[in-house]
Amino acid sequence: MSVLDGPKTITPATLTPDSAPAGTVTRRNRTRALLRQPWPLVAGGAILTVVVVVLLLTPWIAPSDPAEQDLTQRFAGSSAAHWLGTDQLGRDVLSRMMHGGRFSVTIAGTTVAICAVLGTLLGILCARVRGAFDEFVMRVCDVLLAFPEMIVAMFVVSILGASKTTLILALVVGGWTPFAKLARGVAMEVDARGFIEAARALGCSRSFIVLRHLLPNSLNPLMAHAALRFGHKLITVGALSYLGLGVQPPAADWGSMLAAAQPFLSQAPHLVVYPGLAIFVTALSVTMIGQGINARRGSRS
Amino acid sequence: MRFLVRRLTVLVAALLAVSFLVFLIPYLTPGDPTRKILRGRVNAMDIDPAQLESLRAQYGLDRPVLVQYADWLATAVRGDFGYSYTSQAAVMPQIGAAAMVTLVLAVGALGLAIAVALPSGILAAMRRGGPVDTAITTVTQAFVAVPEYWLAPLLILVFAVKFGALPSAGWAGPAWMILPCVTLALRPISYFTQITRASMAEVLDSPYIVGARARGLGYYRTILRHGIRNALIPVVTLLSVWLGGLLGGSVVVEVIFGIPGMGRLVFNAVHNGDIPMIQASMVTIVTITVLLATVTDVLYTVINPTVRGSHVGS
Repeated sequence: MSVLDGPKTITPATLTPDSAPAGTVTRRNRTRALLRQPWPLVAGGAILTVVVVVLLLTPWIAPSDPAEQDLTQRFAGSSAAHWLGTDQLGRDVLSRMMHGGRFSVTIAGTTVAICAVLGTLLGILCARVRGAFDEFVMRVCDVLLAFPEMIVAMFVVSILGASKTTLILALVVGGWTPFAKLARGVAMEVDARGFIEAARALGCSRSFIVLRHLLPNSLNPLMAHAALRFGHKLITVGALSYLGLGVQPPAADWGSMLAAAQPFLSQAPHLVVYPGLAIFVTALSVTMIGQGINARRGSRS
Repeated sequence: MRFLVRRLTVLVAALLAVSFLVFLIPYLTPGDPTRKILRGRVNAMDIDPAQLESLRAQYGLDRPVLVQYADWLATAVRGDFGYSYTSQAAVMPQIGAAAMVTLVLAVGALGLAIAVALPSGILAAMRRGGPVDTAITTVTQAFVAVPEYWLAPLLILVFAVKFGALPSAGWAGPAWMILPCVTLALRPISYFTQITRASMAEVLDSPYIVGARARGLGYYRTILRHGIRNALIPVVTLLSVWLGGLLGGSVVVEVIFGIPGMGRLVFNAVHNGDIPMIQASMVTIVTITVLLATVTDVLYTVINPTVRGSHVGS
């Protein structure tokens, strides 16, 4: 999650101009540096922080047990007892959303983390090794990129059956490829710059160059991409759960809550509105973070 | 030339990979693979144990797996994937019908997306940095974060339940297309607008536009005669990629709106464990997607020779 935490992970050293030594950054400078960020980055980071904090604290702050039924209170609207109303079994919608969000966000987060690490390492390896290995990995990427994500997910589910692990696996199969392509491109670009040649001339080892120079310098575009991917994965995870191929009952995530609410659409629209809104707001916040990082790099893409 | 060879290698590799994986489904899922394969071949609910041995020999299921794969592939290439477990009918004709429905849906959605995205992208590029640009960019970027399975019920709620203006589900005429197309168009609108804006902005800054303006050609005239045409190349590329994407990616929308297209076909097949149908539909979808991507890439290279050869980081 730390990659997606928004402004918090941006160390002052990367923000201040090269002339200002990182050690002299004071708290006020830090606040000012934060406010100097593109607004989508700040706003998206703030929203995401709130979402993550709420989800982390859910076991302690959720207003009631998400599985507790009260059949006398079915389809109730918003009230003091149930802020977002109740569902078809009289369960508290807000509590269910808070618990469901933990599934949605962790599944999407895990997927993106695995994809990002795997893809980045392979991509940088390709840029360093080149030759036949590079060619092979890139062709595998092309082949995997040709398969629609939903179809791959359906294939994996049809073999392994629906579960949380299957879901992550299904999304990782094709999910690492954009990271590999991006990391390879960025690493090649960085590789051609002067300071890498200088490091090489100074006799630095290959792994040192990769770890201390290539990786840190490739990080910004990769972080932006990871943020954008996270939003995308969150929606895909929801879609698969919506189709009954992801999180299995009695557990529920935002997607399966939407699916369960579908038959009661005209009767209780709030059951559809809130879980979808949660996905939208969370996905929007990471999208804003990604675009913010891109904007800070200057409009290169 | 090297580029073409590489593209074709990817094409063939992708098709072989998907066909092999799909061929393996009966072996990888729980249960007796022989029975599963025979069910799809002889079109019977279950196989009589007495006949099992003779059928196994007749269909060559006692041979090595790779030989069976070659055999299966040869049959599949001729469009014979056997019989569906659920409908007891040959698989391929059903896929043809479903693919047509999805094609209509995808073309409708992309047409709508183009109709919205081109003007807004061009307008945003013309007013770069101004409030109109900010509004267009912000709104279309937010579109990416809208889940289809949220937008669709909301549209149904407003236009079908509240106003009763449009049908909520089914596939019986043009009116049934509107809500699904709007739902599917949202994401392409976002991407098309952004790429139109970016490429239009680049074109507007290029020397030949500045030159045309300097020679006294009017602003709108310059944009209409010289700008738009050149700004469209990336959009065309994206368009065909999206056509492929929508053919395989409209599962959720088709399920919600009850549209008898490819997406729902795959979904139902996976749901029912209908192996011949899963195999045929997945092979079809991937074939179409990969073919479209290849054709696009090749055409793009023909239109724009500068990308030929150097494909670093693409």
